[in-house]
Amino acid sequence: MTTTLIVLGVIALAILFFVAQYNRLIRLNISVNEAWAQIEVQLKRRADLIPNLVETVKGYAKHEQSTFDAVVAARAKATSATTVADTAAADGMVTQALRGLLAVAEAYPDLKASTNFLSLQEELSTTENKVAFSRQFYNDNVRSLNTAVKTVPTNFFAGFAKVTEREFYEVEDPQDRKAPNVKF
Amino acid sequence: MNFRTQQAANRRKTIGLLMGMGVLVWLVAFAALTYFGQTTTAIVPIAVGIALVSVWGSYYGADKLVLTMTGAKLIQESDNPKLFGLIQEVTIASGLPMPKVAVVVDSAPNAFATGRNQDHALIAFTTGILDAMDRDQLQGVIAHEMAHIANRDTLVSAVAATTAGAIAILSDMLTRMMWFGGGRDRDRNNNGNPIVLVASLVILILAPLAAMLLKSAISRKRESLADATAVAFTRNPAGLRSALEVLAADSTVVQQKSNSIAHIWIESPLDGKSVSKLFSTHPPIQERINVLKAMESLS
Repeated sequence: MTTTLIVLGVIALAILFFVAQYNRLIRLNISVNEAWAQIEVQLKRRADLIPNLVETVKGYAKHEQSTFDAVVAARAKATSATTVADTAAADGMVTQALRGLLAVAEAYPDLKASTNFLSLQEELSTTENKVAFSRQFYNDNVRSLNTAVKTVPTNFFAGFAKVTEREFYEVEDPQDRKAPNVKF
Repeated sequence: MNFRTQQAANRRKTIGLLMGMGVLVWLVAFAALTYFGQTTTAIVPIAVGIALVSVWGSYYGADKLVLTMTGAKLIQESDNPKLFGLIQEVTIASGLPMPKVAVVVDSAPNAFATGRNQDHALIAFTTGILDAMDRDQLQGVIAHEMAHIANRDTLVSAVAATTAGAIAILSDMLTRMMWFGGGRDRDRNNNGNPIVLVASLVILILAPLAAMLLKSAISRKRESLADATAVAFTRNPAGLRSALEVLAADSTVVQQKSNSIAHIWIESPLDGKSVSKLFSTHPPIQERINVLKAMESLS
């Protein structure tokens, strides 16, 4: 009688343990997906801002065609990218190109003083920050997931839960303001 | 020390202090029983009950209550798109939902967060802080306030306030009993050890003071923790550091209507008034700046 109870108890505990590990992996995987969706939302918002910004700058600075072309080309590449690596690479290009555009704007005092440009600039800086933060949030989530997939005991359940390691979102940008300020 | 070890250390210390509170309640109950005998058995649950009702009532209505107490007004995105943009940045960095936003018309730079959980969170800013700070500084302040929400500090301070309140009520009731009729009971149990009786009396008198000290210590730990968590969100200790420098350089304080919510502001409005470091709800601002500077130097 007692032995049966003990055996049943052990089986129940084992099932609970299994469910907990499985759910943890699934939860981590969902967090990564949500974080990725957030990156896409923010990149889309930035892409939507670009035409308006380019038009505004063009109104004052007509002779900077190469800068405009660079921005438009980077934007086109960014909107067509699908994989993590492609999106990250295009994201870096857009950031660089926009930096070039804002540097051009520095040379035109009338442009810098226009209210339209000022509000666009504010919107662009908040969007750039949102992109950077969603990137950081995504990478933090990927780090947790990858650690779980590789460490005991969750690694035993990764195959069963069909959860695999995910790719980090790495932007090649030597000037990146959001390069981690703090070491881990 | 980086922000992760900072966070872990602050959490450990908060747990230790809350456990200290528990031990204190137990000590007071024990002292009451030895000093007054069995008649006091009912008093402990009554005192705890009163404290629970008063504190948890305000905990559930924290967001609404604090609005009335500070005179803060809720604002919409169209009222201040720049501020909302900054807050959205931090919600993305922290993964928290968007809180309600309020503004207090007051020229002293300050800010606070409240609400019983992430979904009922509220952060408020004085007009002074919105005028005085640049983008990075405001982002640091917002991250600090969102950190309070993420760390559930409204809950922690409600727990601390409940125990401190219960101890205060308990020792108040018992001190009154000493003058009115408590003596009779003592005569009946006269065989008690005099040293134990004196010790019980000392505990009863000192307990409220000890509870207040513990409550302030918990509040200080939560402030340090919020600074560390803010850095975890923005990875930019310089922003919060320079925001604190602005607050330190500014001598004006918020026109407080109530001292009971002093602990929720990012910079204590009671600074200078408090007797000593032991009673203040915030760590010295210079100490907080130094910790953030240490984090910067790691980069």
